[in-house]
Amino acid sequence: MLKILVRRLVSALFTLAFVAVVVFAVAEALPGDACTAYLGRLAQGERLDNCRASLDLDQPAAKRFVHWARDLAQGDLGNSLKRKKPIEEIVGPRFRNTVILGTVAALIGIPLAIVLGVFAGVYRDKIPDFVISGVSLLAMTIPEFVIATLLIFVFAISFQWFPAVTILPTDAGIREILPNIVLPVITLAFVMTAHILRITRASVIDAMHSEYVKMATLKGVPFRRVVFRHMLPSALLPTINIVALTIAWLLSGVVVIEKVFNYPGLGTLIIQSIFDRDLPLVQAIALMFALIYIAVNLIADLLVILLNPKLRSQVSGEGG
Amino acid sequence: MRSRFTGRFMACLLLLSACAGLAQAATLRLAYDAGFGGAESLDPYSPTRFFFTTQAMYNRLVRQEDDGSAGPDLATSWSVSGDARTWTFHLRDGVRFHSGKLLSAQDVVYSLYHALDPERGSPVRSTLKIMDRIEAVDRLTVRIHLKSAHADLPLLLLDQRCGIIPEGSADSIERTGDGTGPFRLVENDPEGVTVLEANPGYWEGPPGVERVEIVAIPDQVAQIQAMLAGQIDYLPSINRRQLKLFENHPGYIVQTIRTGHWPGMVMRTDMVPFDDPNVRRAMRMVVDREDMVRLVLGEGGGEPSCDTPVWAGDKYHAQRHCPQDVGQAKALLSEAGYPDGIDVDLYTSSVDKSFVSMAEVYQNQAASAGIRVKIHQVPADGYWTDTWMQEPFVATRWNQRPADQILNEAFRSGAAWNETYWHNAQFDRALDRARKEVNEKRRRELYVRTQQLLYDDGGALIPFHLNVNRVFSSKLRNLPPETELFVRWQYIGKTENEE
Repeated sequence: MLKILVRRLVSALFTLAFVAVVVFAVAEALPGDACTAYLGRLAQGERLDNCRASLDLDQPAAKRFVHWARDLAQGDLGNSLKRKKPIEEIVGPRFRNTVILGTVAALIGIPLAIVLGVFAGVYRDKIPDFVISGVSLLAMTIPEFVIATLLIFVFAISFQWFPAVTILPTDAGIREILPNIVLPVITLAFVMTAHILRITRASVIDAMHSEYVKMATLKGVPFRRVVFRHMLPSALLPTINIVALTIAWLLSGVVVIEKVFNYPGLGTLIIQSIFDRDLPLVQAIALMFALIYIAVNLIADLLVILLNPKLRSQVSGEGG
Repeated sequence: MRSRFTGRFMACLLLLSACAGLAQAATLRLAYDAGFGGAESLDPYSPTRFFFTTQAMYNRLVRQEDDGSAGPDLATSWSVSGDARTWTFHLRDGVRFHSGKLLSAQDVVYSLYHALDPERGSPVRSTLKIMDRIEAVDRLTVRIHLKSAHADLPLLLLDQRCGIIPEGSADSIERTGDGTGPFRLVENDPEGVTVLEANPGYWEGPPGVERVEIVAIPDQVAQIQAMLAGQIDYLPSINRRQLKLFENHPGYIVQTIRTGHWPGMVMRTDMVPFDDPNVRRAMRMVVDREDMVRLVLGEGGGEPSCDTPVWAGDKYHAQRHCPQDVGQAKALLSEAGYPDGIDVDLYTSSVDKSFVSMAEVYQNQAASAGIRVKIHQVPADGYWTDTWMQEPFVATRWNQRPADQILNEAFRSGAAWNETYWHNAQFDRALDRARKEVNEKRRRELYVRTQQLLYDDGGALIPFHLNVNRVFSSKLRNLPPETELFVRWQYIGKTENEE
């Protein structure tokens, strides 16, 4: 068990290191350098020299990478060119805001998806299944920004029940944030639910047709007990990975949603930093996204191992 | 008797509710794009000044009058010496900064030296560099000695950045925002919500609203949504397509405002074939400017211009009519040695959203006179370094500037941004004389003359000046259709709903 944990951690670290190399190399491969990209029409003379000096651009790339990686490891992300502030200071509150938005959406979306998915799977090809599957297919096929715009049109502009865009002080507390993010949370939860629900449904249908469920039913075990004691525990295992994938998807979904709703998170920040050609900031955020992605997947893998009796016993070497 | 009492009672109630409505703290909420990404500074002279905030928190010495001239603000009157080199400003007495400090001549001297400080890198420095020495004559009198004559110094001081800050505040002003203006700072949060409140001791009397909230919404579509959902009252800039969402709606007022911004196409007068003034004139004469406005910007998107960079709201603007004249253009080309028409290369880019369509419309209009335009669309990256001021015929754009400034910066011989490489001694002389001319009528004649020279001989094709659109809630009052640079925040009022 411990061995597999260590192995997973090490491979996650390798992945992260690889991502760091790629992020750095891509920035190097761009024409010009970070300073000419950022300064544009003003890239000349003293201004350009100062900018280059501040980023040590006169040093060879390999040396800069080592410095950059060393600073990263110590939690120093460098300075933003545009905002002239340490990146940690800029990214900190944005990261928190994105986590709040994502967590609230996940807390609503995941349980909802599992309940509806089980329901649809158990009552396969009956009316509840048709309705649930139909709506989830819609949610999967309509892009999230269309859903967001529709919600804004109906609930913010026509009825004026909820705010259309987020208007918040930078240091807003969670209590201030929550009433402002009703529509983005609904949008995210809606799309997320659809994905998880489809997998849960398929997995439940598989399990319902399995030998052990048939056997239990034949033995006269009550239907409820069959579903909850026999079918669900094994049917839900595959959903853990899809939940992890969906949370990872949230990261890209959140970029679009944050933009539509003017939410002050990492998503709007990366769009702005690309727009500003602020390479150090873009690199830092790209790395953070990678970190979140890797971490979520790692946790999901470990959870699956923990929860799956088969894998557990394999790991502890008690036969298989 | 009883009915009369009831009537009075009702009247009283009505009055009371009306008063209650007024007494409610009226908050003006406006959206801005957080263009400096949180590096917004409350120092009005800073290159990253927080525009809306500094506009509401500071006063200038002078303010823009309706006819484009400079009227009194913190200065009540001024006079100039006969050689236009020494200016004396008399200040308003009893004006206080938000911190309570009384305004004195020392503060003005300090502010102007702050503007000139190369370390601070203020964008207004290049304009004000003609100031040599600034001194406080007494508590309320400031004298400015210029390096060279300038009969329109007050127009230069109209620049949006020239707010007056208290003496000794250079290092703290970017956080404190201590001005004399109608609103004072409560919370500075350029990426969130910046809050200002009415300055109760404001020298013009209390402002029309209690609070101003400046909300960061970088995305334009999100700004529109916030406006439609009633989350903000005022959107300073929207495009023409979005205008339709608000037109003919009782809840909103839309305004179209003339500005001095212009895109154009410029010919290098030092390169073949544009070194021949006849070719330049022909190139400019084939343009149907009204049509071009319609096709490039849409109906009402701009005001046709006859190749003058001085916009119609400027008091030195030269009025002129310049209809398309294909016959004359052909004749001029013939005379210049191109009887069978001429081939020209026009460089454009998506750097500006009107560049490409402007080039295409020009290509079509010019064809009627045998001018065959080949359009080269080059990447936006590097346009300003590799194409502009390099190729002989390119698209350009300029922001609004006062007449004297734009004429000197873009057209004077040898100016750094003389993009047409035009050298006209008459033009330069007229500009010099205008600066020295203290008689306003004669000064105007000189500026009109410079524009005539540009029209006859210059290399810049300036088809129009741009209009901008803004939208605000119909609850707002006293927001005249003037550019954002000169909105008087203190007069804006707001009627709150009684809900």
